[in-house]
Amino acid sequence: MNPAVDILIDSDGRLVFIDETGTRHENVRPARMFPLTDPEGWISLQSPSGEEVGFIENAKTLTRVQQVALSDAFAKRDFVPVVRSIDRISRASDGHLWHVTTDRGPTIFRIETDESIQQLGANRLVIIDDHNTRYLIPDIDKLDVESRRRLERYY
Amino acid sequence: MSFSAWNLAEIDEMELEEMGATASIHLIQEGVQSHAWRITTGRVREADAFLGRFKDQHRSARSDLKLDPEVLRPEGEDEEIVEGESEVKGFMAGPMVRLFAFAKPWHRLMVLGFLLTLASTATSLIAPWLTMALVDNVLIPLQSATEEVHVNQVYKFMAQLAGAGVLTWVLNWARTFVVARLAERVTSRMRRETFEHLQRLSLTYFNRKRTGDLISRIGSDTDHISLFLSVNFIEFICDVLQCVFLAVILFWINPLLAVAAMGPAPLVGWLVSKVRGHLRGGFAAASRAWSAMNSVLSDTIPGVRVVKAFAQEQREIERFRATDKHIFDTNDRVNRMWSFFTPMIELLTDVGLLVVWAAGAWSVAHHHITVGVLTGFVLYIQKLYGRVESMSKFVAAAQRASASAHRVFEILDVKPDMPVNQGMRKVGRLRGEIDFKGVKFRHGSRQVIKGIDLKIAPGEMIGLVGPSGAGKTTLVNLACRFFDVSEGSIWVDGLDLRELDVEDYRKNLGLVLQEPYLFYGTIAENIAYGKPKATKGEIIAAARAARAHDFIMRTVDGYDSMVGERGHQLSGGERQRISIARALLIDPAILILDEATSSVDTETEREIQAALDYLVKGRTTIAIAHRLGTLRRANRLIVMEDGRIVETGTHDQLLNQSGTYARLHEAMMEVTSQ
Ligand SMILES: Nc1ncnc2c1ncn2[C@@H]1O[C@H](COP(=O)(O)OP(=O)(O)OP(=O)(O)O)[C@@H](O)[C@H]1O
Ligand SMILES: [Mg+2]
Repeated sequence: MNPAVDILIDSDGRLVFIDETGTRHENVRPARMFPLTDPEGWISLQSPSGEEVGFIENAKTLTRVQQVALSDAFAKRDFVPVVRSIDRISRASDGHLWHVTTDRGPTIFRIETDESIQQLGANRLVIIDDHNTRYLIPDIDKLDVESRRRLERYY
Repeated sequence: MSFSAWNLAEIDEMELEEMGATASIHLIQEGVQSHAWRITTGRVREADAFLGRFKDQHRSARSDLKLDPEVLRPEGEDEEIVEGESEVKGFMAGPMVRLFAFAKPWHRLMVLGFLLTLASTATSLIAPWLTMALVDNVLIPLQSATEEVHVNQVYKFMAQLAGAGVLTWVLNWARTFVVARLAERVTSRMRRETFEHLQRLSLTYFNRKRTGDLISRIGSDTDHISLFLSVNFIEFICDVLQCVFLAVILFWINPLLAVAAMGPAPLVGWLVSKVRGHLRGGFAAASRAWSAMNSVLSDTIPGVRVVKAFAQEQREIERFRATDKHIFDTNDRVNRMWSFFTPMIELLTDVGLLVVWAAGAWSVAHHHITVGVLTGFVLYIQKLYGRVESMSKFVAAAQRASASAHRVFEILDVKPDMPVNQGMRKVGRLRGEIDFKGVKFRHGSRQVIKGIDLKIAPGEMIGLVGPSGAGKTTLVNLACRFFDVSEGSIWVDGLDLRELDVEDYRKNLGLVLQEPYLFYGTIAENIAYGKPKATKGEIIAAARAARAHDFIMRTVDGYDSMVGERGHQLSGGERQRISIARALLIDPAILILDEATSSVDTETEREIQAALDYLVKGRTTIAIAHRLGTLRRANRLIVMEDGRIVETGTHDQLLNQSGTYARLHEAMMEVTSQ
């Protein structure tokens, strides 16, 4: 990364991006270009009006401090819970209720159609519930047998 | 229809072509199609018969030109198919033999399956044999109480019976598994090969075929075959084996009784031969009806927005109902046939059993046989009749499978009409010189391109304009070699296009279609369609160049967003930009843009244009546009009208000529100033 370029957090806790020309962009918003297949790489930095002011190809090339600033900014934005196990799937009046344990604890959500389960890559699934929250199963094979069997009936 | 009015010797051929809900008969005379009649699928059977008669008479007419016209008159208007044995063979044996050719790679599995079948069939016949001894040596003596029977003997029989049962069970299990596995492999290979073959066929083929029909051939027809191979066929083999074993055993036990038992056999044979032809036609019709329904579905489901916009739901419901009724009717016909047939066989076997009892009672009374032997015999004969009944079901299954196999092989037998593999010349990256020499092209009988001479230098940008229907898209289709020219030739880098390896050549092509087509998948997958191994950086760069990056980043999942089937979750302009990115990603030597920017706003178009100005450098570009401003950068503008080039030159030159271009330009200016 160009040494002139910098990412920092200002006194108001907002992300600031300084580009190659030294221009300071206040209150930028990070956005992942590949939130599901490559969450670590290719991060777009956007101005409050949604314009791209710069991008980071690989967050790992940043300094420690910059990385923390970036991940803080991400933490404030939406997240994708990772499903650790599927505990039960029951029929609801329209669609199915999924009882799952995520990396943030157990939860229940409802999905409407089969299309709500989407495959990304060989073993990776994204499940979109009726509130448009997305749940990620990073690797089907890593689920326990019971979870896999439950999943199999719907996907 | 009567042939006598035609001079048969002048006719080359007559063919029946099915196209889902309809079919047509083509008459080919002196190499070209001179007549075509459209018919509905309901009448295909009649049409088939008609063609059969035509072919017979045609053959004799050609061999003997001075034939009396009287002979050519068909035998009345009766359209029933002739139930000739030779025809049955052609229809039945052909597809079946080929079906087994598909199983060749798994011949070991096939042999294993056969051995297991043989063994399990043999073991299933042990039980009645034991029963015979059980009755005579144990039960009868027990009842008459004349002899002492050791209780151990009973145990021995029980153990033997149980052992035979278990053995049969294990063998059956193994056999079912092996055979099902084999059948799955065969049909999977069939599906794959059919699909592979389809991918090799040219667009001309797909223009004529209906999607639903192809889907049902690859989908449900192969499923029929799978079921037949895994269940019906092997059952039939078992049945035949059992019948042979049983017949031997029966004659062994008592020839007289055996002859009595075989009484209904000729009747059954006659019935089978009678019913087979009807079933065959019925199942073929059922498969066709199924295709017709799939065709309606694949037409209306993607077109649902048009249906709703014009409030035609009721009409589509009616249309579907009609095709569904067709399925119902054809199935009904088949069901009527074999629902009568199977119980009929049962009745016949019941009669046979009666005869056996009568003859048996007589034989026992005259001490020719013992009660035990009679019991065993009856058990065997019941088994035999059971087999015969189940064999009768095979008749239906075989006819259905052969009708289905026929439909699948029909696809496999289509020769790629544009011999894709003929051009063998391997090419790497081309410079991108394209030379059209006296190119003419026909869609069917309609001349669409009427003679084009055009030389495009490497790196040149050509703007192709002209009124709608002038043949612009057709011309670039020819340059992509989706179709072959009817006359003339196209040269690329000094090589005849037909000599090049098509795949190699197309790797040099970046194509943005008039109707962008996206696949179900993510945005990134769609952009990288022509180069699946593209890095994320390349994908993003292509998207930026096509001015797609910003809108992509506005979607929830960025490049990982799903675009839905055919990309329906994106706007028309967004789809176009994705397809531009897709074309740019492969860094083509020849870039073809068919109204690539027709659905984006002028602002975005200007942006894409700016990007393209940079991107067209170093590659030959053919851009088609109705908005003439789009082509400002073109080195040359080619104006096409009615399949011909009418003007060439730069924007200014053409305006001064006050020809077609000036007219188009004026009309456009009027529209924009309004
Ligand atoms: N598959 C086909 N079968 C028969 N005729 C066809 C086929 N495709 C196109 N045509 C006819 O060929 C003519 C030229 O079509 P083409 O698509 O090349 O026009 P175009 O110049 O691209 O028009 P537009 O500007 O509207 O896209 C049209 O009259 C069309 O009806
Ligand atoms: Mg066109």
